[in-house]
Amino acid sequence: MDLYPYIVIASICLILGLGAGFVMHRSNYCIAGAFRDMFMFKQTFMIKTFVLLVIATMVLFELARQAGMLTLYPFPLLYSPTPANVIGGFLFGIGMVLAGGCVVGTLYKMGAGSILSAISFLGLIAGSALYAEIHPLWASFIRQTTFFPGRITLPQILGINPAIAVTLISALGIMTIAKWYRDGSLVRKAYAEGYMQPWKAAILLSLISLVSYVLIGMPLGITSSYSKIAGYLETIFAGEHLNNLAYFKTVPLKYTNPLTNVQLEGGGGPRFDVISAIQFPLVAGIILGSAISALLLKEFHLHFKAPHRQYASAALGGVIMGLASRMAPTCNVWHLMGGLPILAASSILFLAGILPGAWTGGMILRKLLMTNGRGPS
Amino acid sequence: MNKLELDIRGQICPSCLLFTLREVDKNAQHIQDGDLSLSVKTDNRDAINTIPQALGNMGYTVQVTKLDGYYQIDISGNE
Repeated sequence: MDLYPYIVIASICLILGLGAGFVMHRSNYCIAGAFRDMFMFKQTFMIKTFVLLVIATMVLFELARQAGMLTLYPFPLLYSPTPANVIGGFLFGIGMVLAGGCVVGTLYKMGAGSILSAISFLGLIAGSALYAEIHPLWASFIRQTTFFPGRITLPQILGINPAIAVTLISALGIMTIAKWYRDGSLVRKAYAEGYMQPWKAAILLSLISLVSYVLIGMPLGITSSYSKIAGYLETIFAGEHLNNLAYFKTVPLKYTNPLTNVQLEGGGGPRFDVISAIQFPLVAGIILGSAISALLLKEFHLHFKAPHRQYASAALGGVIMGLASRMAPTCNVWHLMGGLPILAASSILFLAGILPGAWTGGMILRKLLMTNGRGPS
Repeated sequence: MNKLELDIRGQICPSCLLFTLREVDKNAQHIQDGDLSLSVKTDNRDAINTIPQALGNMGYTVQVTKLDGYYQIDISGNE
């Protein structure tokens, strides 16, 4: 096989990951926290910057589309809507709050030395393995409940030009964000050293998404690599069982990479393909970028002293999130930073699920943390 | 003045904020009277910003100091 396109793709994704990891650590850009704190503490500071992230990405993607820079629109691995998007989003919301970070939050926190996040990372892999066991059942549920087959985005379903829908929504969004900007609620007084205001992080992350969409052919995705790791582990420890799992044999991605113009394919199974070339460098980059940021600030430290139930919460949250990432299908980064900005109906449904999920997760977490008083001494 | 220490390094979000608020709540009278101060150790970059904000809004005096790889947040009553 010609390695050239894979090397190009892997290098770009590593750089994007390093940038994202650094930015996320500096601003503590925790998407799980943004949703959780809105419900648990009525704090809307972070979720406002997340609205900015989605609107900025929406505008950038649409400008790129009009400039002819998006050869694939909508991008691959987005499907027609199904209730599975809401159910997956709901479970994902619970999982990310229990884990204390979403699928990328886990990575940048782990990069900065969080043992709890390393445990939820293992949970994510276990959850991905678990999904392979129920895949035939769930795939048939998705097939039977898909509506508007063949149509993916809201403009496609409504039969309108995406420019009209994007203009209307982003105009509303920009007016709202301008109001927040004027009343000062997009900025907070910072005490952490080297702190980057999250609104700046939101803009930088939307630019990273844009570069990924233009050069790689799709926005940032993370979680298929977790399935691959699960698959590799099963190859070692349960090879025979792995052979019976249909999920690991699927190859859902077949596309032409816009930069190299080469036709490539990939899936969640344990083999080297374009998904490996995209996601492993991205994952490694985020962990490393965050570690570099933490080391520069002399804030990289491992701590093992958390109460036991927090380790349980992190592990359980990771498993639920890993499972939900495949059920939804795919994770919050894919849907909220990629699909939502092009108004994919499945991503809108995912959002409708993650909101009550984060609320429910917050209720469970508060109970878990505060009962029996086994707090820190 | 007595000093109460709370070490929440390495803990899951948002336990830092939750535990701090609980401790402050439990000892509100003593802190406000000036015979107790609370000292919180955290390495969570979110908590470093949210704890002073939340307690500042409640009328406490908050001071943040960066120490060796973590931050110390000192909370006392309003003098």
